[in-house]
Amino acid sequence: MKFSYSWLCDHLETDKNANEIGEALTNLGLELESLTDYSEYSKFVVATIKDFRKHPNADRLNICKVDDGTNTYQVICGANNVKKGLKGIFAKDGMYIPGTQINLKKGKIRGEISEGMLLSERELNLSDDHEGIIELLDDFQNGTSAVEALKLNDPIFEIGITPNRGDCLGVRGVARDLSAKGVGKLKPLNFKKINQLEFSSPIIWNINNDDNSCEYVVSRYFKNVNNSKSPEWLQKKLISLGLRPINALVDITNYITIDLGRPLHVFDADKIGKKLDMRLANANERILALDNKEYTLDKNTTVIADGDNALAIAGIIGGDYSGCTDDTKNVFLEVALFNPNSVAQTGRTLGINSDARYRFERGLDKNMVIEGLEYASYLINKICGGLVSKNIEAGKLDNFEHKINYNFDYFNKTIGLELDPQKQIKILKDLKFQINKSNEKECEVLVPSWRNDVKNKIDIVEEIIRIYGYENIKQSVPSASIEEIDKIDNSSTNKKYKSIKKLKKTLISNGISEVITFSFHSIRAQEILKGDKSLKISNAISDDQSYMRNSMIFNHLESAELNFKKGFKNIQLFEIGPIYNSPQSQENILSLLISTEENTNSIYKSEEFNFYSLTELTSILISSLNFDIKQFNISRSTSNTYHPGQSAELFMGKKLIARYGKVHPLIMEEFSKLKNFYAIELFFENLPIDSISRTNSINIPDSQFQFSEKDFSFLFEKEQNLYEVQRYVKGLDKNLIKNVEFFDLYIAKDLGDDSKSVTFRVTIQSKEKTLEEKDLEQLHKNILEKVSNKFKAKIRS
Amino acid sequence: MDIKKVLNEVTKEIEQCSSQQELQNVKVAYLGKKGKITELLKSLKDLSLEEKKSSGSKLNLLRIEVDNLIKNKFNDLKIEEINSKLKNEYLDISFPPPNSIASKAHPISKTFDEVITIFGSMGYSVAEGPDIETDFFNFSALNIPENHPAREMQDTFYIDDKDKEGKSYVLRTHTSPVQIRTLLNQKPPVKIIAPGRTYRCDSDSTHSPMFHQVEGLFVNENANMGDLKGTLIEFCKQFFNVQNLKVRFRPSYFPFTEPSAEMDIAYEIVDNKIQLGQGDRWLEILGCGMVNPIVLENCNVDTNIYQGFAFGVGLDRITMLKYGLTDIRSFFSGNLNWIASNGFTIGDF
Repeated sequence: MKFSYSWLCDHLETDKNANEIGEALTNLGLELESLTDYSEYSKFVVATIKDFRKHPNADRLNICKVDDGTNTYQVICGANNVKKGLKGIFAKDGMYIPGTQINLKKGKIRGEISEGMLLSERELNLSDDHEGIIELLDDFQNGTSAVEALKLNDPIFEIGITPNRGDCLGVRGVARDLSAKGVGKLKPLNFKKINQLEFSSPIIWNINNDDNSCEYVVSRYFKNVNNSKSPEWLQKKLISLGLRPINALVDITNYITIDLGRPLHVFDADKIGKKLDMRLANANERILALDNKEYTLDKNTTVIADGDNALAIAGIIGGDYSGCTDDTKNVFLEVALFNPNSVAQTGRTLGINSDARYRFERGLDKNMVIEGLEYASYLINKICGGLVSKNIEAGKLDNFEHKINYNFDYFNKTIGLELDPQKQIKILKDLKFQINKSNEKECEVLVPSWRNDVKNKIDIVEEIIRIYGYENIKQSVPSASIEEIDKIDNSSTNKKYKSIKKLKKTLISNGISEVITFSFHSIRAQEILKGDKSLKISNAISDDQSYMRNSMIFNHLESAELNFKKGFKNIQLFEIGPIYNSPQSQENILSLLISTEENTNSIYKSEEFNFYSLTELTSILISSLNFDIKQFNISRSTSNTYHPGQSAELFMGKKLIARYGKVHPLIMEEFSKLKNFYAIELFFENLPIDSISRTNSINIPDSQFQFSEKDFSFLFEKEQNLYEVQRYVKGLDKNLIKNVEFFDLYIAKDLGDDSKSVTFRVTIQSKEKTLEEKDLEQLHKNILEKVSNKFKAKIRS
Repeated sequence: MDIKKVLNEVTKEIEQCSSQQELQNVKVAYLGKKGKITELLKSLKDLSLEEKKSSGSKLNLLRIEVDNLIKNKFNDLKIEEINSKLKNEYLDISFPPPNSIASKAHPISKTFDEVITIFGSMGYSVAEGPDIETDFFNFSALNIPENHPAREMQDTFYIDDKDKEGKSYVLRTHTSPVQIRTLLNQKPPVKIIAPGRTYRCDSDSTHSPMFHQVEGLFVNENANMGDLKGTLIEFCKQFFNVQNLKVRFRPSYFPFTEPSAEMDIAYEIVDNKIQLGQGDRWLEILGCGMVNPIVLENCNVDTNIYQGFAFGVGLDRITMLKYGLTDIRSFFSGNLNWIASNGFTIGDF
């Protein structure tokens, strides 16, 4: 919402300056977004070109003698409108030029001294016009300030109006709020009602009984008007806000929309029928609107029509055909009330953001209908002359009446501040709320017609504190209670965040950096991952963000690609965040990506990263969450994101805990620059929260007795799950077998196609004594026999 | 038998040894089974008791001395040998390591952590809700009815799938639906924060289609607007680490709070940098207010007993302000260079 200082003063008698008013607006909740104040331009003055001659060294430059009323200066000027006697705006040496953002400096231009500058509109930030220097038409004295000469003494306010404050979408509403804040006094509306309503309108209204959005409409017919340019005061007002004057009738409706916040419409009465309907549109009915666009309407749209012709979209925009032009002789003025919901819905469906829609959908002041009609009639009659008809109306205009029972203590309890009932009442009265039946505890408040947003007693509290001032609220900090600390300690979400932090620290200490990527998937990702029914965003901004991701790997490969292009070869990154499987199923997982670029450094050689390095990393991550990777059931992953032979899944019961492996070469084909990548997905939310967030370790006492180690080699079936073997061996004697570590795997032709040779070392140690040779031998024998029986394994040694 | 002569002789031979093997040979020649000193000791048995005593002890002394001499020489030789071996093991200590990039945590992680810690110290536990929300939780329960202009304050992403009421799922436009989820799940007193991802279809250098917010909610019998003000000022002081913080609360509008406020903090430009805390310019930091009783009633909370406040803070925004970052889009690009220069090492995180 934009308005000028002088416009505001049409409604507000105030001695406050623009800055003070700006601050008051913000404190009222009408946030000042910008205040354009040109008072600093008074340093620029009117000056006349006394004489000029061509610059000897530059074709397009002139050397001007410029008189600013005090002195004469030599100014080099490149404008093409330089002429003798031209009056322009002059800036002297050292002055800051806002349009170019530089300080003017006296100096030589192509060998000729220049002592100042004649300014263009763009150099003053007044417009984009840089065709030539400003040429003043009126005869100002040299030395007159630019503020006066260019009529810049009217600051422009731009304020943000929150959706509840439809009443402040008119300058008068803003003035009313300011007056309640004590910034000034609201002036009465200054116009005369037209007493001579001579004839009945030849055009009549009908509101169809079809659920259209019109509650009430009232009109007047103006005969024999003279429509042409509107008077200067009106044009200036509109121009000051950047609006283009069109003709008097249109300008008057635009003016009232901004002045009173009351949209209304004028039809050229000779272009419309004699009976107008408020009705729902027919399916696919079309209308060419004033914005020169054709709209196709649906059955929920309310239109103003004469018979089959839609003339206007109710509450949103008028039709092009029936609009008023300079030739208009007879006018039909329409002031209506439309249902805000319907207007909002239609406006959104058609994508029209008009001043009218903006106001209608926020709800208008019902008591302003007749006032708007009278005000518009007064202006039309005054500016365009002619005769005015009696009112013609349809529908019912209800009186706005809303009462709220309010107890003064409610304010104190909500705000934490004792405010005397009398002071509360005073504020409400300043806001033009009426107070009925009050006693020291409570009162009945009658809400003014323009405040349809004030519905409940809490809204009354807001009104009072808004005027009393938020700066007067006393602050206090409620500290944590023992119960609250207890809750934090037991909160599973707090525990989860603690575990996530632990996980992040482990990752970072392993040289992996954290990234955060969008929760989206590109169409490309969707096609390549062949993801099962992913969630599609209906109104995506771009193809890159049109699905909800069901994995992060693709986003991370894209990051890797970006980093690769920046010269990074060794890419290691992770993200902890959500993936989405269905609208109701979202899980937070850890996803990490590691590249295996060839290391060409012959001195700093690191071992090649392979599947087993990845397994080790997975194991470290799982350990940081207080679990042991070997506890889980391992199987090959069937995910098509991974290399089928070099990927694994870990399960706890039926719950997937981790999936890791080499990224499928077919996916890598999509990233021609990138080579081998490995990924881990850790579904940590599937692990019991109390276990993973535990910080104290379980205390396993260290045995003091001698330990012994023994290696075993077996020939297993090739697909034998070694996690099972390991668990089985460990389980053979939980007291004595301390560790089972696999350290060799041999697969070769000579073993046959179905076998693998596996070696593991068993560490045996008792907590009670040093074991004797015969005990050890017995245990060794037991391991050999049981393992070979259980897994049909051949003993190799 | 001349013990002295033997001692001289053996000492000389030990000294001349230049390897452990030679020394070993000397040792055998004197102390071995058939060594000279061993032979001398053996010959004692032919002597008289008296002579045995005197010669025996002298010979024994000789044997011990020679043994010591050999041991010492062994040690010397060993050190010499290791030293000469080490001379061949010298590396080029100046060969520079490959360029590496520091692994760091994302600045948002650091902010999440700090927010949880600061509010934790004030008694707020962490709650959460899904990113994909129903119309009910994201809008209607929060007193944002359909067609209400307030819906246009937030450009909403919709999902093709429909919920039970036949309405499209939305990507939550704020973390406020967690208020509803929490209040429907637990009876007051409720004191929670809910950090998380939020979405609006908007994209430029200050807007990202995905961003982060933290929601706060405190409902009990008397939490009032003064408590709200104090809590948020305290948070900002701690988060921005500015004790002398000039703030401004001004009226605003959110359908789910009444009265509503926005909080600005003062700043000034010093050496082309934003300095928070003082000055006459204002930066919007957060939105807040007293929970609208309509919202409490939507969650079956008795408004005759309970009241409370809520707030929402843009986490990317306060992160950018705190660390002087300018483009929100770089947060989510996965650029490791950016992380390395703006992220946090394990010690700082």
